[in-house]
Amino acid sequence: MRFWFALLILAGSMGAQEFERQQAFLKTYCAGCHGGKAATGGFHLDKVKEPSTLASNTHSWIRSKIRVENGEMPPKGVPAPSLDAREAFAKWVDTELKREACSGGITVGPRPLRRLNRDEYTATVQDLLDIHLEIGARLPADGAGGEGFDNAAETLFLSPLHSEKYLETAKLAMEFAAKEYKSRTRILVAKPEPGVTPDQAARKILAKFLPRAYRRPVAEMEYAPYLELFQAARKRGEEFEPAIFFMLRAALVSPHFLFRMETGDFALASRLSYFLWGSLPDELLFDLARDKKLNRPEVLRVLVGRMLRNDRSQNFAQRFIEQWLHTRDLGGDRMPDAKLFPTYAKDEDLRGDIRLQPVYFFREMLMRGVSILNLLDSKYTIGTSHLEKHMGIKLPLDPGRRTQPQWVELPEGSKRGGVLGMPAVLAVSSYPYRTSPVLRGAFILDAILGTPPPPPPPNVPPLEDGKTAAAPKSVRERLTLHRADPTCASCHSRIDPMGFALENYDAIGRWRDKDGGKLIDNTAEMIDGRKFAGPQELRTVLLEKKDLFLRNLASKLLGYALGRGLTLKDSCTVDAIVAEVKENDDSASKLIEAIVLSAPFRGESEVAK
Amino acid sequence: MISRRTVLRGTGVALGLPWLEAMASTAAPKPPVRMAMLYMPNGVNPHAWTPEGKGKDFQLSQTLSPLADLKNQIVVLKNLWNEGSKGGDGHYVKEAAILTCATIKKTPGADIANGVSVDQVAAQRVGQQTPLPSLELGVTPVAIGVDAVVGYTRIYGSHIAWSSPTTPLARELNPKAVYERLYRASTGVGADTAQMDKLLLDRVQDDARRLRTKLGAADKHRMDEYLSVMRSLEQRVERNVGGARKDWKARVALDAKAAPPERPADHAEHVKLMLDMIAVAFQSDTTRVATFMFGNAVSNVSFRWLEGVSAGHHDVSHHGKDPDKLRQYQLINQWHVAQYAYLLKKLKGMSEGESNVLDNSMVLFASALHDGDRHAPHNLPLVLGGGGGGRLIGGQHLEYAEDTQLANLYVSMLDAFGAPVERFADSTGPLPGLMRT
Repeated sequence: MRFWFALLILAGSMGAQEFERQQAFLKTYCAGCHGGKAATGGFHLDKVKEPSTLASNTHSWIRSKIRVENGEMPPKGVPAPSLDAREAFAKWVDTELKREACSGGITVGPRPLRRLNRDEYTATVQDLLDIHLEIGARLPADGAGGEGFDNAAETLFLSPLHSEKYLETAKLAMEFAAKEYKSRTRILVAKPEPGVTPDQAARKILAKFLPRAYRRPVAEMEYAPYLELFQAARKRGEEFEPAIFFMLRAALVSPHFLFRMETGDFALASRLSYFLWGSLPDELLFDLARDKKLNRPEVLRVLVGRMLRNDRSQNFAQRFIEQWLHTRDLGGDRMPDAKLFPTYAKDEDLRGDIRLQPVYFFREMLMRGVSILNLLDSKYTIGTSHLEKHMGIKLPLDPGRRTQPQWVELPEGSKRGGVLGMPAVLAVSSYPYRTSPVLRGAFILDAILGTPPPPPPPNVPPLEDGKTAAAPKSVRERLTLHRADPTCASCHSRIDPMGFALENYDAIGRWRDKDGGKLIDNTAEMIDGRKFAGPQELRTVLLEKKDLFLRNLASKLLGYALGRGLTLKDSCTVDAIVAEVKENDDSASKLIEAIVLSAPFRGESEVAK
Repeated sequence: MISRRTVLRGTGVALGLPWLEAMASTAAPKPPVRMAMLYMPNGVNPHAWTPEGKGKDFQLSQTLSPLADLKNQIVVLKNLWNEGSKGGDGHYVKEAAILTCATIKKTPGADIANGVSVDQVAAQRVGQQTPLPSLELGVTPVAIGVDAVVGYTRIYGSHIAWSSPTTPLARELNPKAVYERLYRASTGVGADTAQMDKLLLDRVQDDARRLRTKLGAADKHRMDEYLSVMRSLEQRVERNVGGARKDWKARVALDAKAAPPERPADHAEHVKLMLDMIAVAFQSDTTRVATFMFGNAVSNVSFRWLEGVSAGHHDVSHHGKDPDKLRQYQLINQWHVAQYAYLLKKLKGMSEGESNVLDNSMVLFASALHDGDRHAPHNLPLVLGGGGGGRLIGGQHLEYAEDTQLANLYVSMLDAFGAPVERFADSTGPLPGLMRT
């Protein structure tokens, strides 16, 4: 006992010494601008002054670490630390944050109450009633928060508009179901007949319907108020069926239906089905939850494979990929200009294929269990005859179904491997009318590597008139001028190069050798002076940053799976997931499995090992 | 005359009821005053916005030229700003707070916070007098995701109407759905339907109340949100039982067959149809409060369909003094002002006894930045149009001291609207010279 105590004190004092050493580093290289009374860039060293700030001000530590590690700070023109000192600082911050995150083991983290978002609501109503009605189109769209997804509990608000629409869509859905043979069979499992009173029949129907709607077993006392609704409708002279549909309509507006608030194994069943299917659990999941067999690693492993192979996982692939890679914006702000790209604007099939290519690719990867690094570079892609033509390459498409999306091998030297070779991603990281190395570079840093560049300073000085007199014309010339300014250079020398390497793809992702009659210059120089050119060498650079990519993707997936923003504590879980995936040849299906088996997803904390 | 004045301290405060009764007892034959706010993202070309001259003697600038026929019905306001938005980032802090005059909390979403917007202060005061308390409209869907570069959830950039500091109000984007909603709200539903709806709403609120007791603090808040929207819907249903309200009658009945198309042909038509919906809502008195967003913050909607423009909105707003970009920026600004003029004219054409709907409205055109290139929140581009029920002194270019509180404008507007407050956010009093007292 005494021995451990002494060791703790020793470790504590060594930690304190190291903390002071890093404070000296910050004072030497950062205090000039970020200390004193007028700290620039909204960052003051006071934010990271005490050891306790590692927990309370994690964000500031991470930002300063990233900026030092990337060589963005200190800016050119002031004394800079050696590469070794930079690395030592970064490593120390990493270790300390990890210690902080993992102290107390892997924890479940917050479990906020969450309403179904618009997509989940639509799918759930469809599955519950067995109808095919795009009912959610009538609801307001949801924003997003957390890790950037529209299922984040924190940002699923309710407006007065929602209550009106819920009431209205519940009515519409029930009216629709009342007329459909399939739905009627599923819902109307009893009817009044000799020996069965209307009330008894209603009770039977409810007993079948309500647990599915609530996604959990329903207590006896919960049936009574619904039966009262049924009776009230009967008293007003309604026939049996309309009274039943009125009673069930209430279930679709109840908070038990609109919010996810299941507990125990039923919560896990819902988490699983909303993660991988975007809808309510099926009978198998429900049964496993009831028998308390669901929360076992061996069961979950089998289920993940089964659920991914089910058609419904298309829903997950689409919602995750389109939000992670922002390709949803192709239908909005980032829609390519119709006048400049008439073929794109006019050909609905091509547009559909472009948008779904990364979605199908991701889903196929999961089902085939290939390496997740195929997202960065791959020998395969999803092809259709439209995509073949658009990308300007020959693909070994199945002659019988050339228009259907299919997993195909790319020809040698196609330069189309990975999502950065896909038109959807190249278009959404462009302006609607031209490419932008800055947008594409920032896209890679943010979406792919999870190291978004810091915001531009609030008052960017416009380029001086004197400087523009020489009138550089090309984007590259203007950006070179931009980087001559040390303030801009600190970030743009990191953002722009990756974008330049992709300049051979136009704003809708077609290959081009020339732009405006001039040969495309796809050369780039990274912040450390290393030179590379073109998309294929960029892919090599990105594969070297595999750890950043895996960490980022695992965080995004975990945030999506949990439907909330991640905290510092969750980074311990993310580390464990990444380690698991790396041990398994970076397998894509392993990644999903590791997320499902993680402590926050299963809802069981693990004590520190 | 209602003179009850109330203190508002930046957050949503429930206001006293005696005032309602006073309103009912006077039963003024005067047409009601309406209030609409149109928000344009990305600021203005600073060289083409400000009118020449001051007071009554002024010339409209190029950007404001679509308002030439309406010069006597508008006031151009100079030098107002929201001090709360001076820090933070270039867009979200400015744009989310344009109607709240608060400082939003920097967050990817977990603890979103703003103030209560001026339209909602008005709606919370007089909203019960009309079938709908307010209308929130837009043309582009809510922007998805977190702007990782600046650290704000894009929720901020997609909402200007906030009913509480933590509740942004969802907008309706489909013109046909808006029309149907207005129609249903103004005609009401049959007594039977209303009774059944009420039963159903009672039922689900029971569920929520029982649930609430079992929840932690944060989740309780969500359930309160649910209860609040369900309760307000129930109250509206109740007021409508029997299909006709005793205390309200459509000033002009809506025609069921006049619904606009569901999918407008293009951006320009979409905007026009949504503005039509505001006009119809005001004319029929289905609501007296409306907000409309021409686009989300940082909107880069392509304006290449507009003659002379070859780029997206946000892109040209970062003109970097490039004369060609400045020219395009101005054209986009001017197009927005022309849409504003379209709404004003439409309201003016709707006669209402001796006056017209425009005479009895206040329609604000606002952007949350001046020069978008510099993200400058000083001297916001603002035009207030309409007669404000005889209160607004039109035909002026009012120049205030630099950095005068924008909130003062809202104090003046709320007063003319019939929902006076002592204070709104950081206001120091009404704007002088704007309203007849």
